[in-house]
Amino acid sequence: MRKFVFFGGKGGVGKTTVSSAYAYKCANAGLRTLVVSTDPAHSTSDVFDQQFDDTPKPVDGVSGLDAMELDPEEEVSRHLQGIKRSLSTQVSPAMVNEIDRQVEMAHQTPGAYEAALFDRFVDVMRDSDEYDRVVFDTSPTGGTLRLLSLPEFLEGWAERLLAKRKQSVRLFERAAIGGREPRRIREGDPVIAQLEERRDRFALAGKLLREEAAFFLVVNPDELSIRETRRAIGSLDDATLDVRGLIVNKLTPEPDDDENGRGARFLRDRVRTERERLKTLREEFDKPVVAEIVTRIAEVKGDLLADVAAEIDVEVRVEPVE
Amino acid sequence: MTLAERIAAFRDLAEEWLRGLYHGMISHPAYEKIENEAEDIEDAFMLACFPDAFGIPSPVSYYTAELLPYLEDEFEAWERRMWDRGSLLERKGQQYHF
Repeated sequence: MRKFVFFGGKGGVGKTTVSSAYAYKCANAGLRTLVVSTDPAHSTSDVFDQQFDDTPKPVDGVSGLDAMELDPEEEVSRHLQGIKRSLSTQVSPAMVNEIDRQVEMAHQTPGAYEAALFDRFVDVMRDSDEYDRVVFDTSPTGGTLRLLSLPEFLEGWAERLLAKRKQSVRLFERAAIGGREPRRIREGDPVIAQLEERRDRFALAGKLLREEAAFFLVVNPDELSIRETRRAIGSLDDATLDVRGLIVNKLTPEPDDDENGRGARFLRDRVRTERERLKTLREEFDKPVVAEIVTRIAEVKGDLLADVAAEIDVEVRVEPVE
Repeated sequence: MTLAERIAAFRDLAEEWLRGLYHGMISHPAYEKIENEAEDIEDAFMLACFPDAFGIPSPVSYYTAELLPYLEDEFEAWERRMWDRGSLLERKGQQYHF
């Protein structure tokens, strides 16, 4: 299995449970594992009964397992502070207010939250040398898919801006005929430097996601979840990301044959429709079903986690980067 | 005034005129034109970076905001150019010396 493993899917299908269980399984197999929750409604804390935050913390009772919860809100304000700091050293007092307004506005646009989350994603992946495996518990499908298709889009964007800036600077240099001081010079232009750094960062993110990440989609045996999964696979494939398989969660347990009460009849009916859907999942999707997890009566935590982990038939061994 | 001095004075005058002529006809319009072109490209760059200044939402303004501290002069000049630019034709027309 690749180093970065992503679990995605519709809201409420049990991504957190599955990714926690898989991380648990990896840690038990002796890999240094980090589980990262990117869902704004963090529930990793609930699974392990322990509060996590923006920095990796060891999980009590499981050796070799760390957990963290990304907080884009905090990242946005950190970013804002950073810009304001360089604003006060670079910009004349007369212009500060004018530019300040622009900066504030940029941090309130709808994209800011996603951009911040994306930055944290890249940070975590880049600084993960001490881990053998990083498991991402992502937020529901729409948001995550957009997030993961960002690098290519952003890289192209930074590239275009860079080209424009270089062109205008080059013209300013040429306009300095006869020993005049050019208005801007290429050497040491902070704007070009900043844009280049951004572009490289996006390129790295794209490379890591394409070459070192594997994706799994968690799906429930119901119509809506299956449809959303089909769309999700489509967009992940479009972004040339590697979807390795489907994990079917919350299957209904079958009653014993001699039971014939109302509950047993209900369960039997339910199991029958779910079999149909499982068949759909097996036959109509070109991705393998790698786990079938039956609904638990209690919340999945503690000992139950090990139980669920055993049902996930996903390779744990680290596969070499080709 | 000797002949040599008169010739020297004339040469100085001629040189000054020639330099002025060259500056007025060749070098001044040239760098002005190039500089205008550079400004136009810079305007396009600024607009691509900060379309939200005109109410157009940009998904990347979060990242381009990082550039703002270094774009003070450009930002001010850009805003000024945006205000007094009557039409694209006017701006382009300025670049030709008849």
